[in-house]
Amino acid sequence: MRSTTDTPEAVQAGQTRPGLRGRSPARWALLAVGLVVALALPWVIYPPVAMDIAAWALFAVALDLLLGYAGLLSFGHAAFWGSSAYVTGLVAIELGLPFPVAALLGAVAAMALALPIGLLSVRRSGIYFAMVTLAFAQMLFFVVNQWRDVTGGENGLQGVPRNFFGIEAVETEPFYFYYAALPLILAGMWFAWRVVHSPFGRVLVATRDNPARARALGYNVERYRVTVFVLSAGLAGLAGGLFALSHGFVSLQEVSWQTSGKVVLITVLGGIGTLWGAIIGAGLIVTLEDQLASSGFDGIGIITGSVFVIVVLLFRSGVWGTVTNLVARRRGQKVPSEDIGAADSEQGL
Amino acid sequence: MTKKLLTATAVVSASALVLSACGNAGPGGGDEGELSDGKVVIAVLNDQSGVYKDLSGPNSVAAVEMAVADYKEKHGDDVVATEIEVTSADHQNKPDVANTKAQELYDREQADIILDVPTSSAALAVATQAEAKKKLYINIGAGTTELTNDSCNPYTFHWAYDTYMLANVTGKTVTENGGTDWQIIYPDYAFGQDMDKSFTDAVEEAGGTIGDHIATPFPNDNFSTFLTKAAAEEPNVIGTMQAGGDLINLVKQYNEGGYAAQGIELAVGLMFITDIHSLGVEAFSGVNFAEAWYWNFDEENRAWADRFLEETGTRPSFAHAANYSAALQYLEAVQEEGTDDADTIVGNFEGKKINDVFLKNGEIRAEDHRVIHDVYLAKVKTPDAVEEDWDYEEIVSTIPAEDAFMPLEESTCDLG
Amino acid sequence: MNAFLLYTVQGLAAGSFYALAALGLAIIFGVLGVVNFAHGACYMLGAVVAAVLLDVTGLTFWPALVVVPVLLFLFGVVIERLFVSRLAELDPLYNFLLTFGLSLLLVDLIKRQYGVSGLPYTRPEVLSGQLSLGSFHLPTYQVFVFLFSLLVCAGVWLLMTRTRIGMIVRASTEKSDLTRALGVNVKAWVTPVFGFGIALAGLAGVLAAPFRAITADMGSSFIIILFAVVVIGGLGSIVGAVVAGFLVGLVEAYGQAYAPQLSQIVIFVLMALVILARPAGLFGREENA
Repeated sequence: MRSTTDTPEAVQAGQTRPGLRGRSPARWALLAVGLVVALALPWVIYPPVAMDIAAWALFAVALDLLLGYAGLLSFGHAAFWGSSAYVTGLVAIELGLPFPVAALLGAVAAMALALPIGLLSVRRSGIYFAMVTLAFAQMLFFVVNQWRDVTGGENGLQGVPRNFFGIEAVETEPFYFYYAALPLILAGMWFAWRVVHSPFGRVLVATRDNPARARALGYNVERYRVTVFVLSAGLAGLAGGLFALSHGFVSLQEVSWQTSGKVVLITVLGGIGTLWGAIIGAGLIVTLEDQLASSGFDGIGIITGSVFVIVVLLFRSGVWGTVTNLVARRRGQKVPSEDIGAADSEQGL
Repeated sequence: MTKKLLTATAVVSASALVLSACGNAGPGGGDEGELSDGKVVIAVLNDQSGVYKDLSGPNSVAAVEMAVADYKEKHGDDVVATEIEVTSADHQNKPDVANTKAQELYDREQADIILDVPTSSAALAVATQAEAKKKLYINIGAGTTELTNDSCNPYTFHWAYDTYMLANVTGKTVTENGGTDWQIIYPDYAFGQDMDKSFTDAVEEAGGTIGDHIATPFPNDNFSTFLTKAAAEEPNVIGTMQAGGDLINLVKQYNEGGYAAQGIELAVGLMFITDIHSLGVEAFSGVNFAEAWYWNFDEENRAWADRFLEETGTRPSFAHAANYSAALQYLEAVQEEGTDDADTIVGNFEGKKINDVFLKNGEIRAEDHRVIHDVYLAKVKTPDAVEEDWDYEEIVSTIPAEDAFMPLEESTCDLG
Repeated sequence: MNAFLLYTVQGLAAGSFYALAALGLAIIFGVLGVVNFAHGACYMLGAVVAAVLLDVTGLTFWPALVVVPVLLFLFGVVIERLFVSRLAELDPLYNFLLTFGLSLLLVDLIKRQYGVSGLPYTRPEVLSGQLSLGSFHLPTYQVFVFLFSLLVCAGVWLLMTRTRIGMIVRASTEKSDLTRALGVNVKAWVTPVFGFGIALAGLAGVLAAPFRAITADMGSSFIIILFAVVVIGGLGSIVGAVVAGFLVGLVEAYGQAYAPQLSQIVIFVLMALVILARPAGLFGREENA
């Protein structure tokens, strides 16, 4: 789909990009700042909201793994976030397992669901991929809504416990739960970073930039795409499971198209193809929605819709991309073109 | 890849254990709402932007403010609650937002009570928070009977209506009035399934029979086929459990099919005056439905509705009146007890008999915290019978409180 | 038999909305390479504008069938000039995202302006009631919707095959590189074509006004089914959009009649099967994928 924008540079992605790449001290400093912010968050922000930010950040990272590095826009990622939320909830309610186990089982379930959907969806790329994933997610919505015995229908699954080896603070206080869940979130992000920087990740970028060439080089493009789709679904699932545990219930909202749209918004706002951007986008959007809910302003779609339009028209590289490009410009480095997937894969975490 | 996955999994679990053990410092818990410095905070948490905006929404906040003004005026210099704050938040019909906002209202804004919360999943989430924080919650906007059954708790009350009442009143009364042969069309999700069950019980108890129970997808904009199927059995009533936009779709397509001319009446499970207002009286003419309160029912209601019109520019729905009533009765309880301590107020409420503009022959049942009161079967007027704006309903019969709601022996609630 | 005939008519009527809107979607995609996520919102706008015009100016259904699409055409022209054209050179996903943002914006603006409970609309007396054909009784309005949209689709088809404008549009829809190579100025047609596609969605909206709930959200699930329709028909194909539109309407109606619980899911299953058997859609060509 991007054949018209292909340049030799794009194919060489990862080797010619500017930004913070190669400056190890800067990167470590950034990582340290990120960690401090993550640790300080629930002191500054209301803890349940801080947990929302963390979960949405991982969800956006998962989507960006797919969008930024494989060039595939999934508009139905709520299917994985939501299905994992339900499985996590059911495991926690029915089996009473510790919450990290419940969330991981949820993630596994999301991956199992992603396999058939992925196999079907990667038969098409570009716009088709977006529409097909959206349609499949909507199908799941109908199933979840009707399958009341298991999902609770529109009432949702209520009373999802956060079992944690009898440590009451974690089980009842959102503040402590945040710290108990944070390692899982960070591990998920670290995993995404590993994938991006592995040989697998480089092939992925090649399939994004020039699928025909990747195919000619002997790579099975579809298999790479399905694999990254399933991995992305697993991370989205982990995030969805933790979100459900944090709130203590699962509802239809989790599998709705609005949820799919929100994570796309977060990713685009933060900057496609920059894992840091996904995190910043989550912080911005979750806080914004939280503020709007108490503000008395009744047009949340007007705000989010405008953000979408403005970002797509004027800041296609998102908040993170814009900032790093500015930094790069000041250093006299070359700035990449603003197109999906053109952002620096090395700029990630 | 698999190896990496496994490693990742191991790291995740291990670090979860380690880090969680470290996190033992944090801010102290919130204070228990004793007299809370004589300040009473009433929070309205509802849908201020979505489908329930007109039904309840911002005007419910206005109704609560009317209650505060009335309370202050009535007790003058003797008021216990000298400082009353009314705050509100928009849950956008999203249960996760409702959940977070409820915690925030209780913890941060020192809310003593949360009112309203339409959408069942959101209401259930808020009820859970009320129980955890030991603060009051009076539900008005949501219709799920779960709140006074399996999911009931000491701090949650259900004020205005529920699905059992709607189905019971409409099913029984329409059958008694001669509509004995039914077909039911219901949306296939929790609300619709509950309504179908309650309707069936009510109709059969009143001596009617129900042919098919037709489940439809939700949401859905095409009901012609379902109506054709239902009408083919030649019933004299089609009962529909659709709500909101789906209901409007169905009613438009019922009118289009010309079923009224074939002698097939339409009974609606869940309908609000705002639905009639938006679609016009003509479309709904003759439709039977249960109503929890009607502004033009008697002088008392009408006088209050006139004041409400002055404040907001529109006529009140039952939800507005119920929010007013809940806030007023809460403040009266605070006045009587001299405290806003939640447990004391619960004690004051339980078993209390109340008559106000909304609750006629009202009683707060101690056993399941369901508030029962007289309700009505309404029929939508024909266009030429309408005398003024919002004058849409004719009250066919009044159903006494104890006959309208789920009897105590059927409730599975155990407040311990 | 009578029941089956009724289901068929109802399915075709439901399919008419999909067919008209999908046709607009397909034409826009063909010439601009853009999938318009706001198409559902434009369908909603068609119905809302019809209802508002009726309320404010007393404009009835028949003139609305012309006036509203014209207004929507102008709206489309403005949107194309202001927003869509700025992203024309980039990956089409950006316009997909842009129009998604626009649809959120439009839906909430309408909600704020006209509330959420829906707007009233009266249908013309002529189209009320039942049409009697011997022992068969068919709902007049649905028969009208089907025939009218069939007429419009046929008209569009004639426009595409018999006029020079149509030739250019069709050529660029189905073989866009070749058309450019032959020196045809496709660019000049981009804006009116976008407006025309939006007008078709608006027309579907006007047709829906007397028959469906007119609310700000009426396009939200409509657009998702519409995506399934164009995937089934093949995005690059004008015929495919129309045929798949009616097909999905029929599948929905028969599903509702014979397997109500599955009636929504069945559409997506059909889509999955088409992707398996013919990834480019029933009428699509692989190169348009």
